[in-house]
Amino acid sequence: MLVLRPLDKLPGLNTATLLLVGTDDALLQQRADSRLKMDCASELRVHLARSLPLPSNVNRPLVDLLVFVINLHSKYSLQSVEKSLYHVDASFFLGKACFLAAGAGRESHCSVHRNTIMRLAHTYRSPVLFCDLEVEGFRATMAQRLVRMLQICAGHMPSVSA
Amino acid sequence: MHAVMMPQKTGKNYQAQNRPSQGSSSYQTNLSACEVKQKPSDSKENNPMQDDEHADDQDGDVLQIAMEYFEKDPIRSLRSKDKILEKHLITVENVAWKNGLAPETIDILLNVALSGRFGNAVNTRILKCLIPATLISEDSVVKAVSWLCVGKCSGSTKVLFYRWLIAMFDFIDHKEQINLLYGFFFASLQDDVLCPYVCHLLYLLTKKENVKPFRVRKLLDLQAKMGMQPHLQALLSVYKFFVPTLISVSLPVRKKIYFKNSENLWKTALLAVRQRNQGLCPEPRKLMLGPANIRPLKRKWNSHSIIPVLNSSSHTTECGKKEMNLSEYLSSSGSLPLEQLQRFPQLLENIHCLELPSQMGSVLNNSLLLHYINCIRDESVLLRLYHWLSQTLQEECVWYKVNNYENGKEFASFLDTIIRAESFLHEGFYSCEAFLYKSLPLWDGFCCRSQVLQLVSWIPFNNFSEMKPLLFDHLAHLFFTSTIYFKCSIIESLKELLQNWLLWLSKDIHVKPVTDSPLDTSLCESMNSVFKLVHYVGWLSTIGMRLESNSTFLMHFILDFFETACDIYLIYNLPLVVLFPRAIFYSALFTLDASILNQLCYIMHRYHKNLTAAKKNELIQKAKSKLSFSSKTYKEFNCCLTTMVGCLWTSKPFKKGIRFSPETLEKLGVEEHKRSLNLVYHSSLLGYAVSFLLQETPEEKTINLSSIQVLYVQQ
Repeated sequence: MLVLRPLDKLPGLNTATLLLVGTDDALLQQRADSRLKMDCASELRVHLARSLPLPSNVNRPLVDLLVFVINLHSKYSLQSVEKSLYHVDASFFLGKACFLAAGAGRESHCSVHRNTIMRLAHTYRSPVLFCDLEVEGFRATMAQRLVRMLQICAGHMPSVSA
Repeated sequence: MHAVMMPQKTGKNYQAQNRPSQGSSSYQTNLSACEVKQKPSDSKENNPMQDDEHADDQDGDVLQIAMEYFEKDPIRSLRSKDKILEKHLITVENVAWKNGLAPETIDILLNVALSGRFGNAVNTRILKCLIPATLISEDSVVKAVSWLCVGKCSGSTKVLFYRWLIAMFDFIDHKEQINLLYGFFFASLQDDVLCPYVCHLLYLLTKKENVKPFRVRKLLDLQAKMGMQPHLQALLSVYKFFVPTLISVSLPVRKKIYFKNSENLWKTALLAVRQRNQGLCPEPRKLMLGPANIRPLKRKWNSHSIIPVLNSSSHTTECGKKEMNLSEYLSSSGSLPLEQLQRFPQLLENIHCLELPSQMGSVLNNSLLLHYINCIRDESVLLRLYHWLSQTLQEECVWYKVNNYENGKEFASFLDTIIRAESFLHEGFYSCEAFLYKSLPLWDGFCCRSQVLQLVSWIPFNNFSEMKPLLFDHLAHLFFTSTIYFKCSIIESLKELLQNWLLWLSKDIHVKPVTDSPLDTSLCESMNSVFKLVHYVGWLSTIGMRLESNSTFLMHFILDFFETACDIYLIYNLPLVVLFPRAIFYSALFTLDASILNQLCYIMHRYHKNLTAAKKNELIQKAKSKLSFSSKTYKEFNCCLTTMVGCLWTSKPFKKGIRFSPETLEKLGVEEHKRSLNLVYHSSLLGYAVSFLLQETPEEKTINLSSIQVLYVQQ
């Protein structure tokens, strides 16, 4: 299937899945590792993808939270994310998707302006988080925040929906 | 500016015998000061370096050789020069970055760099490593400037020299002679490339007597030619503050950052020099015992302070100033050197002749000077302080510029100092506000957390709708995705923000007389802003409570906020009453914690008082002002109050009865629902009820709570 839909599979019991979409594999791998270190009540699974659409032959679980990672230092990253956005069902943007802009700290290296990302996020009505993935401390706090969002999206927090 | 070509002198005589160029003959600089005596033997260079350290001795010797080489005027072929030159350059660079250079060394090297003897690359390297050990002598600077007239150095060297001068401005010991060169610098404004740097230098250098009508005209002409450039604007604004009558052009008032930062090349070295000047000399020596560090200067200076040391400007020590104002002649005492300012009575005695330091940032550490700044009418002082603050904050911010991550602690202590100064003056700085707007979107919520939240609480009063997208939306983002402790901290800092705003507004209302229409609208807008803030916090708290499943810890902080918010009418005398959201009311009413119930009752009591007082005042002043309260507020409050009384006392919470059928109620075990909602049965007070019964009748086996009757006292 081409388009990623939020409810096309059954949710697993006590699990939550996070899908990171972006081009920078090394950074994403680091992030995934730091994510798994966070302890969280339910079982946490992190999947990585360079871009959408995902290959349909892979057996994957339901995606609870979709994070688009954009590296502000490369225009190519922004382009590939924009292309991936076409393959996502609109109902994801009712709170199950967010944008993560990396590298805003070094302004001299940024080839994509912050405002571009903010406008993109505004168009898709999703929150945008800024993080500098190179620094361990910032990665850890960002991981905490994403885990919290994931818990809400996966429905693990009572009386709060995405 | 036209240079006069100087014939090249042979032998050891490159020392300055300069004449001013034609374009800059308008001043009377005493250039005899430029004539350098024959440099004494370079044993002087060794003195500051002579140490017990063996490594330093070796350095000193090598430096001596290097200096001799530079002093001589070699007429050799270029090829043989290269290797020796390279060796000496490396020596000089090493010593400079480790220890700094003595003033005489700097003198020699400046002359070498600007005389055009070597090529551009060498000059650049020399200028880049000209780091002073303690001070730079004014004479060397004047000599160097005179070399500029000769025109032997290239344009880029000139630019670098100006940047160096700006960066090292504070380390020059006296500045009177440099001030006399004002006209020369001013004439250099013609050059387009040099213009921004010269403007920055003049900005630092300008005193009241330098502002002359012909200079103002010149600046305005330049502006007409080049357009509205920020550096020209900066200079014009300084002129305007000294002599406002000369300038009629309107300038933007709140522009804070005018100049590009010239300090970058020497930044780490500058911090080192500042620390040295503070008298911590022994430490650097010890640090060198370790293995030779090739690059990292940052690691050595563990406790550098971002805030510069206070030292008075040079006015006190100079004695040969050419032009003196009449007022200075008349004032007998002269200005007081700032280091001597120790006690408050001293400040009061000398308040008319204090001259502020050239490094405005040093004011932050000194409470007496903060007092002085508070009362001073001269706006240029505040302008300089804000300019320095905004620059430093931007440069040193840890998450904004990720290179600074290791300096997290210094940045936190720097923020602490700013916060202390703000709480001392009881008002916020605009620079901090701008800094927060820029950096809060990038903040991760963890770094320097308490300091940033305290800065938030000191933001000056503004229109809430304007601040919302810049600040409050990002705070909300962080709030929703963070731990419970962070949520509590945010609510606390928002409470302090509200308090500061209310204090400021109530003071403002007393100052301005309450007249009719024109003021009414501004008061309306202010009240609107405060209303929106309280509403925003109510929204945050509602969602926060849901996210944290009605945690009592969070509820404490939320109710603290509303304790401040409920008393706006009576305590702060501002015509506003804002209720808390219903969700908070109900969560607090059915809480499991008795102290929360207590706090809730107190808040309801205060709201009651505020509302009755407001109603009474309204009835007394028959005139209906725009600031009357809508009846909706009253209705809402009455609703909450009746519910509360019904739940806690009269056991009549449901006005229209309950819709569950009796069988359902029986299954739930609550047959007697009509009398079950009572103070005695309240979830938080159940423990107290039981212990009361146990105290009264300890021998009873079963506890019958209905034996506690609620007595109605007729009032």
